[in-house]
Amino acid sequence: MNLRRWFVTGFFTLLVIVAYVVGYQVTEIDPVKLFSSLGNSQKILNDLIHPDLFTRATQDTTLDVVFPVPCGSAQPAQLPNSGPRIVPNVECANPGDVITVKGFDMAPNNDVKILWLLPSGNALFSELARTDASGNFTAQVEVRPITVATQGIPTHLQAETPVPVGGWVPSQALIDVINNIMVTIFMALLATTAGTIIAAPISFLAARNIMGRGWMGTTVYTVVRAILNITRSYDSLVLATVFALWVGFGAFAGVLALTIVTVASLGKLFSEAVESIDAGPIEAVAATGANPVEVVRFAVVPQVIPDFISFIIYHWDINVRISTILGFVGGGGIGFYLSQRINVLEYQKAGTAIWAIVLVVWAMDFLSAEVRKRYT
Amino acid sequence: MLKVEHLTKVYPNGTVALKDVSFTVNDGEFLVIIGLSGSGKSTLLRCINRLIDPTEGRILLDDADVTKASSGDLRQLRRHIGMVFQQFNLVKRSSVMTNVLSGRLGYVNPFLSLAGIWSRADRDRALKALDRVGIKDKAYERADALSGGQQQRVGIARTLMQEPRLILADEPVASLDPVLSHSILQYLEQLNKEGITVLCSLHFLDLVHRYATRVIALKDGVKVFEGLPKEINRAKFKEIYGEEAQEVRATTVEEG
Ligand SMILES: Nc1ncnc2c1ncn2[C@@H]1O[C@H](COP(=O)(O)OP(=O)(O)OP(=O)(O)O)[C@@H](O)[C@H]1O
Ligand SMILES: [Mg+2]
Repeated sequence: MNLRRWFVTGFFTLLVIVAYVVGYQVTEIDPVKLFSSLGNSQKILNDLIHPDLFTRATQDTTLDVVFPVPCGSAQPAQLPNSGPRIVPNVECANPGDVITVKGFDMAPNNDVKILWLLPSGNALFSELARTDASGNFTAQVEVRPITVATQGIPTHLQAETPVPVGGWVPSQALIDVINNIMVTIFMALLATTAGTIIAAPISFLAARNIMGRGWMGTTVYTVVRAILNITRSYDSLVLATVFALWVGFGAFAGVLALTIVTVASLGKLFSEAVESIDAGPIEAVAATGANPVEVVRFAVVPQVIPDFISFIIYHWDINVRISTILGFVGGGGIGFYLSQRINVLEYQKAGTAIWAIVLVVWAMDFLSAEVRKRYT
Repeated sequence: MLKVEHLTKVYPNGTVALKDVSFTVNDGEFLVIIGLSGSGKSTLLRCINRLIDPTEGRILLDDADVTKASSGDLRQLRRHIGMVFQQFNLVKRSSVMTNVLSGRLGYVNPFLSLAGIWSRADRDRALKALDRVGIKDKAYERADALSGGQQQRVGIARTLMQEPRLILADEPVASLDPVLSHSILQYLEQLNKEGITVLCSLHFLDLVHRYATRVIALKDGVKVFEGLPKEINRAKFKEIYGEEAQEVRATTVEEG
């Protein structure tokens, strides 16, 4: 007997160990990666925590010097000594030479495009440089044969820099994120509203104390309960995928999926609220000769309203979270935007979306807690 | 006239709450039902307006058979049968006014009532009913803001809206202190004097002696006594309440 118990215990212990070993392998758990991959993903993580929020409009300003090629083909430029300026190390050059161009007193930490303005009027891009913190740069520029002066018209050497003008304005990413997160919030609002409108009447049919013990009441009760239970077993992601294939990708598919999830979940919560009410007023109102609908209206509804409101707001909060995720499978809104930004490797924009989601989820959580506190 | 004939109630779990109970209540009586806890008083009162369906027997209200009434007919019959409960059974979160108005539901157009629309006449009637029980000033407070005695008065005002011919009161004062008990029962007594028949279950014998015009006693679902209050002597009392019972009084101070 003792031996058998020992054997059974041993067998199950072994089974549990095997389960964990297999589980560890198939899920490819590799804690080392958490650290070894940190280097590679640093740029991405950095982008994510530096979201793209605001931009300033820029205007290209161009610095220009006349640069005779070959020497003697034109008057060399008079170089200024102050202000933003570019200074070649020589006054003129011959094709094939490499000259050094320096820039001074320009916008710091800015891109500089160095180009030739040819006698024909066309611009020839040459180098890309970047100013340092004090607004200076140095670049090596090759003098190409095409820069030779024709008919006495010399070539110009130019440096083009984008200079910020005006104030900071929301970036396109921020505008897109705000638009999309509004879509998500409204998706949740519509789904919660539609779900409530459907779930509220259904919940009375799924409440034992309202349906009574007669055969008809029991039948309706059982059928409605069963439908709610079956509906609840469908996950919102699965539903959203199905609806996305049915009505097309976008917010509408998300709203449909969310509505069904909401009906199933609120239907259950509501019916439990209805079942937990005080039966006394029901008897009292029924005893006055009121019809069953009036009994519900006057004895049941006033009792369940605080619970209903609390559940509705709680579910709106949940629906905002779900609808965020639904975007990944084609449900529209901020989730869709986020998944697309990740697909095209725009991590700063993805960062903007993620921060917006965090903010909105936090705000909804706070709001729903506050409102529910008021009502209960 | 209310006639109860061979009334039997067996609950689904097999409890026999009433066994072949018969009695008649004449118009204008104040009939009190007494009996130990669990003797079937509530079951009997609830059978009369069919909040509970009796298993066997008949209940006749002026020749209308309550037991056989269809749901529509039953609602017509219930309009004239007011009911007052031990736990008051008000909708706590609704206003006193709404609670009182709900007593009128048997009369009004359901579409209007469901929309919460009440006629001027009904609102006046409700205020008058509240005035009768002395709490007109509480009309727009939430029901659960009122004391127990005040809530029971709202309960009475609600039955007044029904213009009842019969009031069923199931231990209307069991949750109230003795002084309030008298004030509530005096309202019922007054209504009774105005011609409304009252069927009331009570616990305290002194209240029975003071208010009942006639008494029936139940024991384990069987009617063991029917007669005038003064006929309940020591022997009868022991028969109804058991050998060990001591008479307890609601009040030791008699009303002046
Ligand atoms: N819904 C029910 N299902 C099963 N049994 C019940 C039900 N309601 C009451 N009973 C039983 O029927 C019997 C009579 O109950 P009833 O409530 O009518 O007595 P009562 O005289 O009103 O008692 P009390 O003074 O405690 O109110 C009791 O044995 C009780 O347990
Ligand atoms: Mg009782």
